[in-house]
Amino acid sequence: MPIDLVRLALQVEGLAAELKAGERKAGERLESAVAALWAQADALEQFRARLAASRTSWLVAGLVDGLGGRVSPPPCPGEFTVVATDGSHIDVDRHSSVRCCLINIGSAVLRYGESPGAELVAVPQLLFGDELIIADPSAPGGGERVEGALLGLVRGVAECDALAALLEGQPVERPVLGLIDGSLILWGLAGRDFEEQKRFVREELLDRRYLDALERMRVRSGRGPCVPASYISYPRSADVVNALRVGLCPHDVADCDRYCAGNRERGCDAVSGVCDADLFAVLLMPGQRSEAFVSGSRFMQRHYGEHQICFFYLKLEEEVARVEVPRWVVDGGLLDLVHCLVLDQCRRGLGYPVALQEAHEQAVVTAACREQFWGLMEGVLAEGGVALGGSAKRMSKRTRWV
Amino acid sequence: MPTRIGEVIEASTAEFVAQCYELHRPPPLGSLVRTREGEVEVYGVVSHAQTQGIEPGRRPIARGREEAVEEDIYRASPQLARLLRTDFSALVVGHRDGERIRHYLPPRPAMLHGFVHVCERAEVAEFSQSLDFLSILVGACGQGSGDELVAAAVRQAAAAHGDPRSFLVRAGKELAVLLGGDSQRLGIILRRIKG
Repeated sequence: MPIDLVRLALQVEGLAAELKAGERKAGERLESAVAALWAQADALEQFRARLAASRTSWLVAGLVDGLGGRVSPPPCPGEFTVVATDGSHIDVDRHSSVRCCLINIGSAVLRYGESPGAELVAVPQLLFGDELIIADPSAPGGGERVEGALLGLVRGVAECDALAALLEGQPVERPVLGLIDGSLILWGLAGRDFEEQKRFVREELLDRRYLDALERMRVRSGRGPCVPASYISYPRSADVVNALRVGLCPHDVADCDRYCAGNRERGCDAVSGVCDADLFAVLLMPGQRSEAFVSGSRFMQRHYGEHQICFFYLKLEEEVARVEVPRWVVDGGLLDLVHCLVLDQCRRGLGYPVALQEAHEQAVVTAACREQFWGLMEGVLAEGGVALGGSAKRMSKRTRWV
Repeated sequence: MPTRIGEVIEASTAEFVAQCYELHRPPPLGSLVRTREGEVEVYGVVSHAQTQGIEPGRRPIARGREEAVEEDIYRASPQLARLLRTDFSALVVGHRDGERIRHYLPPRPAMLHGFVHVCERAEVAEFSQSLDFLSILVGACGQGSGDELVAAAVRQAAAAHGDPRSFLVRAGKELAVLLGGDSQRLGIILRRIKG
């Protein structure tokens, strides 16, 4: 049945009123954040020391160089390639008698310059049997089932692996940007579970597969200009604003647990609710990027080794995007290349990187694709003499009646 | 122009649709093309062509405001060549079974994914020795754009003959017979044939 729009409209009116009421306060907090940023930028060494000594409960950005720098885009090289991968999946259907799932990795290779060209490809991979388990080496026969959130993580790793393979295949004399959508930090593995009883999952997905892909990209980057990056549209992260909170903290050393445990009013609340994108939307001109920062994620710092993740914000016409890169891109002086090529991609793609858009279009699994997938499964399994059974609930969803 | 220009993606007894290998390069309206079904070569007259997005849900948008020439749009967005497609339709007007050309419909539709070739001049001249294919075109096409197709097919065929003028006279007489008393329609087609 369709949604009852009349009932819904009343609730949306309530939401609109609340948003309107919050506008003025949000504006004041944003002004406070801007002022705090300039104040800390003027006393950078002191700020750096305060950040290093702080013990906060938030994700706090670390400084690479400065804080308030506004970097204008350098010109693009005449000849370059942009590569992107994206994925989608069909999860294990617990109402089906056959346990399997599908990961579909889409990729786009776009060549610009004298001989422009494009390759758009999608590669499906069916996971079944042992591939549906991440085995626990310490418990023979034990392991974690690849489905739901874990399948999403496996897919993310596959996207990165496919990107590494594509970058390795690009001619070394042409500058190449590799893009994936979302964060380079596998946040899904950041929980305590993956440090303790499910440690083997993190070791397999992150340590062995994901970091291996980043390492292959680093090696490729050593042979010719090659920069992997991830792109986050409309980011709501507040790592830089959280760093400003440390600067605003009235205590000698910012220590949230010690001074501000509980719900008492905090000295840093003047910038509460402001996110980094709001801040840099005010500070940057279209095309400019912020300074680079290092992610303050302890999970990332602990496990990413020499692939520590840095990020910067990029002001576009319509929004501020967050771009993440491994630390060796920053140290290798390749940030300018990331900046100009990501910006160029966004301009060509009406605000969003065109290569990512096309990789997504290749990867996307629609409801119709899902039906075709199960149709194909049924047909091929039947030919092989295997019946595809399922629950009554699955059957009722496939054959709707009145 | 290479003679192999595309591939059949839809086929029925009286018509087939082909996707061009090269964007924006369909064969001319009214030209004779050839594909096959098994051992039978199927002839068609190009009746319609269009270029559009490869996916129904993704409409092309204007991109060239900042570009000097249209080609620059394709240079700036190389993916376009992969996301757009040019298709054309052809009305089946005959077939070749062994050595003989027959100016009536083949027993079966063209094969899907069969290669489509533009017929070279000698083959067009051979096929249009008989004007029986005109009856299929006149019968299949209504007035309006159908008349355009009939005229275009005659012009294309005439160009393949050593003496185009005598071919046009012969085709005009054939059309007069086919259209009977419909002198208005005949007049429209003849004016388009003369160019």
